[in-house]
Amino acid sequence: MKVALHTWAWISWLAAALIVLSTTRNPIYITLTLSCIAVVMFSLSTRPESTPPPINPLKFGLIVVSLSALFNAAISHFGDTVLLYMPENLPVIGGPITLEAFVYGVINGLVLTGIFWAFTVLNQALPTRQLIRLIPRAFYPLAVVTSIAITFIPTTIRQQKQIREAQMIRGNQMRGIGDWIPLIIPLLVGGLERAIQLAEAMTARGFASTSTQVDDSRQRIFMIVGLIVLLAGWLLRLNPNLALPGTLLLISGILLIAAMLYSIGRQTPRTTYSRQIWTISDTLVLSGSLIVLLVFLLPLPWFDRTTLAYPVYPVISPPLVDPTIGFAILGLLFPAVIIFRKSL
Amino acid sequence: MKGSPKVITLLIYGLSMAIGIIALLYPFLFPAVIEGIPMGMARMGEMPLMLTLLLGLGLLVLLYEAQGQAINTKLIALLGVLVAINAALRFIEVAIPGPGGFSPIFFLIILTGYIYGSKFGFLMGSLTMFVSALVTGGVGPWLPSQMFAAGWAGMSAPLCRPIVIGLNLEDRRGEVVLLAIFGIGWGFMYGLIMNLWSWPFIVGPAEQYWTPGAGFAETLRRYMAYYALTSLGWDILRAIGNALLILGFGIPTLRAFRRFQSRFDFDYQPNPAKQINPELNT
Repeated sequence: MKVALHTWAWISWLAAALIVLSTTRNPIYITLTLSCIAVVMFSLSTRPESTPPPINPLKFGLIVVSLSALFNAAISHFGDTVLLYMPENLPVIGGPITLEAFVYGVINGLVLTGIFWAFTVLNQALPTRQLIRLIPRAFYPLAVVTSIAITFIPTTIRQQKQIREAQMIRGNQMRGIGDWIPLIIPLLVGGLERAIQLAEAMTARGFASTSTQVDDSRQRIFMIVGLIVLLAGWLLRLNPNLALPGTLLLISGILLIAAMLYSIGRQTPRTTYSRQIWTISDTLVLSGSLIVLLVFLLPLPWFDRTTLAYPVYPVISPPLVDPTIGFAILGLLFPAVIIFRKSL
Repeated sequence: MKGSPKVITLLIYGLSMAIGIIALLYPFLFPAVIEGIPMGMARMGEMPLMLTLLLGLGLLVLLYEAQGQAINTKLIALLGVLVAINAALRFIEVAIPGPGGFSPIFFLIILTGYIYGSKFGFLMGSLTMFVSALVTGGVGPWLPSQMFAAGWAGMSAPLCRPIVIGLNLEDRRGEVVLLAIFGIGWGFMYGLIMNLWSWPFIVGPAEQYWTPGAGFAETLRRYMAYYALTSLGWDILRAIGNALLILGFGIPTLRAFRRFQSRFDFDYQPNPAKQINPELNT
């Protein structure tokens, strides 16, 4: 049975996973989050229509965690538990190699792996057409370009195969780079010819025949203000003493830009041929994500938020855990539960 | 897009580019900004998302401004088809990885930017990354950095034009050699930019790595050590690949682009409804 959750249910799940990964350094919470994401990834891979991701998530994780751990241990000489000494005369890596720096690198690598896995889930879960739908209305010309490009990719690959076969029949073995000119140039010229035909067909069918262009000068001026506010907020935020005004400015800048793009988008007519239906399953996924977001973003009194931090330096110690926070992270498992239940 | 005074366009371009550049270069700015104030470890965790947010917003505004030029069927169709060809090349690259960081996509991004202008080059670069990410399942927080970097490659390609014109290299071998050198430069630049996204995250908190007050030169030295250890070999192969592709296919590709540039050089003016002859509808 085909299981399709709503795009926004998946987006809420992704947001929850990213918030967890960006707010905690506790290895227990991070490992729990990675386990939840892995279960969701596995549940998606059991669907008949699923295709394997282009990069193996496990391999990616192993490479990133090893690289991060080794690199951090080699260059960061902080921490009291010395594992070995590198000769002092070696640039950058010379000095003590500590367990704390190694563990810190592992944690960084795990977080990066978690972010990658969460997006892998999104890529597996949402078909391309649903991702295109996320392009805001203000960007409709770019959405059209994207749709054309995605439509033409299979044609281009097919044409490349045909030209290659034709060249090989003519005796071109395609060995040196020069042998590829008879493949690349016809492919390119054929594509450009198709572009002209497409432009003519679009014009004939009335694309851009009515003026969909909007007077957006005011919105663009506000976008300039938004960019300035955003930049100022971020720079202030880099200084911990000015974090609050910086955050307020940052949020104002984001809202201003978003509001202007929304306002421009409202002036652009758009039709939808088929709407996604919001189901109880989507509400469940959203609820699970909201639980995670509330626990990790709000200073609720029932949770020990000090366990979110894990100070590795100067001496490593076992991480403290609040079981209720760990239980909240399990909200990320909801999509997997729904997929497994429906596929039974 | 009505009412687009040049100053608004320039401001939007300048500010969104500045956000992209400053966001990527923040590790180098840190010592100057927070000298003597230790960074909390928790703040490091938010940095990749913060970077993605800033780059994403800067990119959205820049894309909105750049697309203003593309609201006509010819450019939409041309861009769509060229992005399809380039994304197909990247699709093939993902399926059959080339050596190291070799990627066939920069060849078309640089040449289209060089012939059709910086806005077109920017859109070509950033949309190639976007579309290929959709097709290959590569959507992630790294995507805005990739779109910015590839967009900049296309946007900066017209910088070669004054040199080509000044040295009278147009339609000569020297033109392609210059573009190949430019391609080599972007082979390294792309790696340098993309590493800036992951570097601060992999190496740990600021007080360890960017010693407060260490200064720009010291931070740069550390970054270059990281770059040389992790990416230089990879990027050398990308740079060589770019040069070989431009030297091998550059001349016929430029010729084709120029020929089609003149074929696309007509303007379609839609008739306002009131100008349509009512007799035609009877």
